[in-house]
Amino acid sequence: MLKQWSFKIVLITVLPILAARVETFSQVSQNPDSATYKILLPDYVKMQFAGGIGFLSVGVGYTFFNQKLDVTYFYGYVPKFVASDDLHSVSLQLTAKLLQLKVNKNIELMPLNIGWFIHHTFGSDYWIKLPEHYPEGYYWWSPGRNSGVFLGGEVKTKLLSNKTPASGTAFYVRAGSRGLYMASKFGNSSIPLNDIIEFGFGVAVYR
Amino acid sequence: MSMRTTLKALLLIGILINTSCGDLFDYSPYAIDFNDENRNVNQKNIERLLNCKNDDTITIAFTGDTHRFYDETELFVSEVNKIHSVDFVIHVGDIADFGLPKQYLWGNSFMQKLSFPYFVVIGNHDLVGNGLLAYEEMFGTLNFSFIYNQIKFIFVNTNSREFKFNGEVPNIQWLDAQLQPAIDFNLVVVIFHVPPTDDDFDASLEEAFHNTLARYNNVLFAVHGHLHHHEIYKPYTDSITYVNVFGVEHKKYNMIKIINNQFDVETMEF
Repeated sequence: MLKQWSFKIVLITVLPILAARVETFSQVSQNPDSATYKILLPDYVKMQFAGGIGFLSVGVGYTFFNQKLDVTYFYGYVPKFVASDDLHSVSLQLTAKLLQLKVNKNIELMPLNIGWFIHHTFGSDYWIKLPEHYPEGYYWWSPGRNSGVFLGGEVKTKLLSNKTPASGTAFYVRAGSRGLYMASKFGNSSIPLNDIIEFGFGVAVYR
Repeated sequence: MSMRTTLKALLLIGILINTSCGDLFDYSPYAIDFNDENRNVNQKNIERLLNCKNDDTITIAFTGDTHRFYDETELFVSEVNKIHSVDFVIHVGDIADFGLPKQYLWGNSFMQKLSFPYFVVIGNHDLVGNGLLAYEEMFGTLNFSFIYNQIKFIFVNTNSREFKFNGEVPNIQWLDAQLQPAIDFNLVVVIFHVPPTDDDFDASLEEAFHNTLARYNNVLFAVHGHLHHHEIYKPYTDSITYVNVFGVEHKKYNMIKIINNQFDVETMEF
């Protein structure tokens, strides 16, 4: 069951990325058809380490409002050797870049990003709707889907831009927490704050 | 900044972060990555207990249903540590609230500060998500027992609902085999999370469960949690006493003393 799922997830995730890469790196000639197709192409691909959504996550997404908002769809994988169990998950991450500082013509600094994410882990243990063997309202949360918030920063550079069609490469960090952790910390001074923080960092290649 | 320098810098940062503060990075709320001191805890404590000197009184402090009451759990631990006559501590289940590995670590971080051996039986909240795996990695098998001072302590998983009432929880055959009289014990104390009278207990096994407890006429008392309040009662005509022990949020706990094949239940406040 999980194997089938993971194959599908890999397929769903990898195909758009490949499509995006082929498109960005091959500089398809401008004709009306490819122009409309290009609108649907993701604006960037991201690869993230940790951050609670996978050991390694790959994502595609779009920017809105002059690159002030990123909407990224990630597939994250946690291998058994770091977690006792293989874990597959997807997440949707919204990042708002509140400050955009142009350092020079090559470097842009975004020191204050805030974001929200919703994270879904695959597998029958991680249900979203309370299974039938429980009475209504027995557990109030869903192990399969939970959300959280984060703070972060980003440096956008022109890296890769002179040798490839990519417009630039950004490096970002993020520190967040999810609702289930915040609920655990709430009212408990005995739980250290950094215990509920999920750190992560990643790289984004813009087209 | 050339690509080469950037990659080198990234590699360096990666190595620094991973070696200095690897715990900061979370891969998933369901990633189980327990260190050695958070593994096989019940068995290690059995060995610890059997190395302790004992007198003719067994004093056991009970807590349970600690869920997200971490401050209260910390307080409980520091209070119990003041009472030197305690032989060991039993947690009657629900050490995690959402079944998260991180909650197992938090719960156990306080229990580890106990000056005495301690044992944790599995509760229904501990089984949500991949909590079963987390319990097995941290505490060991779901059903276990040990003998201390000629008294056998049997810990049994009674969270039938979490196993979809599959007819195998609680494991009656295992329980029966454990209760069968042997030369190394003469009395038994049975510890579980969900009491047999509860809706979360498999109704089709309720009768078999209390018949089994009564079969060899050697059960001194049974202890459970799940309901958070305290009560001493006899739910069946077999006259076995059940002790429902306080959930930690009441800032109360129950101390049970066993002496001369008799037992006495006290409530302690903190």
